[in-house]
Amino acid sequence: MNHVVAVGDMKTGCREDMIVTHALGSCLGLMVYDPAAQVGGLLHAMLPLSKINLQKASENPYMFVDTGVPELFRQLYDLGGQKSRMVIKAAGCGQPLGNSEMFKIGERNYTILKKLLWKNNILLEAEDVGGVASRTVYFDISTGQVIISSKGVKREL
Amino acid sequence: MNQKELNLILDDVKSFPSMPAAALKLLALLKDENSSNAQIEQILRYEPGLTANILKITNSAFFGLPKQIGSIRQSILMIGWKKLIQIVLTSCVNAIIDKPVQGYELSPGDLWQHSIAVSVASEIMVKELNLSVSEEVFTAALLHDVGKMVLGRYVKNDIVAIDREELQDVPFEQVERRIFGIDHAEIGANILRRWSFPPSMVTAVRWHHDPDGAPKTSQLIDVVHLADVLCLMSGIGVGREGLQYRPSPAACERIGLTEAHLEKVASQTLQCANQIAASIQADS
Repeated sequence: MNHVVAVGDMKTGCREDMIVTHALGSCLGLMVYDPAAQVGGLLHAMLPLSKINLQKASENPYMFVDTGVPELFRQLYDLGGQKSRMVIKAAGCGQPLGNSEMFKIGERNYTILKKLLWKNNILLEAEDVGGVASRTVYFDISTGQVIISSKGVKREL
Repeated sequence: MNQKELNLILDDVKSFPSMPAAALKLLALLKDENSSNAQIEQILRYEPGLTANILKITNSAFFGLPKQIGSIRQSILMIGWKKLIQIVLTSCVNAIIDKPVQGYELSPGDLWQHSIAVSVASEIMVKELNLSVSEEVFTAALLHDVGKMVLGRYVKNDIVAIDREELQDVPFEQVERRIFGIDHAEIGANILRRWSFPPSMVTAVRWHHDPDGAPKTSQLIDVVHLADVLCLMSGIGVGREGLQYRPSPAACERIGLTEAHLEKVASQTLQCANQIAASIQADS
């Protein structure tokens, strides 16, 4: 089955599922996979910290990195995933041209992700982050393969 | 750039679809504080399609009214005539821009989604920062990228030149100017001028990527500019060129925008924009 993950959303899948998310700009795309249980999930989070809008975070934890990432892991544990086997890849976190601190939402998303992973002793297996590119991610749950497409060019992550 | 291609682009601007006459009449009312509900009803009396759209949007989740309304008069009472005029324009704009845009590689509905999101983000920004920017900001934001509808075809044809390595760090509207002698912002402004839109809106569309370059800077331009960048970053209707635009720090300063404001506006925009877009898209 094909799942499409919108901005501020998350989907999990198993076995033959394909999970896709389009147009990652400064948002974080996080792909988590357990090859043994053959389950995986893809989070498309928009902003780093839920404290900016707690009401929205309670309605939709996937909007924020700090609430979305733990929720993604929780759901994978429910599907039989185990932390020790998880393979984690990140994409997106881009930023516009110029060096305006204010617009480094992508960088802030990435920093919060790294902090969360570090605190939980989890390593990132691969990443394709930063720059001005808009990225689309194809996450094949049957193999765990992650393909990133940008400007019509596809590459494996 | 080549003059022949520029002439073709300008010809396309001239043959671009026009705005319905009713929309222009209503737009004129928006300026006048003395406009009456009767005048609005009079204009809409002969526009069943527009009336149907107004009722649909007024009854959508976005406004969250306690009960369904069934007439223009009720609609004006519930949401106010200024909002109602915005809805009319929104539904007219939908008919024009709800199409795929080649070159920028936007799927059907992408540009529409983006435009609605920038309108919503602009309004939220105005409210959040307590700015005294006129209601025109919603419509200016809605139309800011209309020029892409014309330029897309040419962007596609010249994509090899556009993709040149040395242009990758140049803001995309400047890349357009180097290659075509014009950018999508200026084309959009030309279209709005042909539609006889108010000069303030024409200016906002013209300078939405270069608010510091405007002959006279304004908060209206700044808000549209910053809301646009924010929506692109959020991935709402972002095209092939991605985030290849440069937000203006001076514009942030002029309207007093901080990091926290920016993220707060982003967190509020998504849901509102989805609700409006869904209410119009349902049967169009």
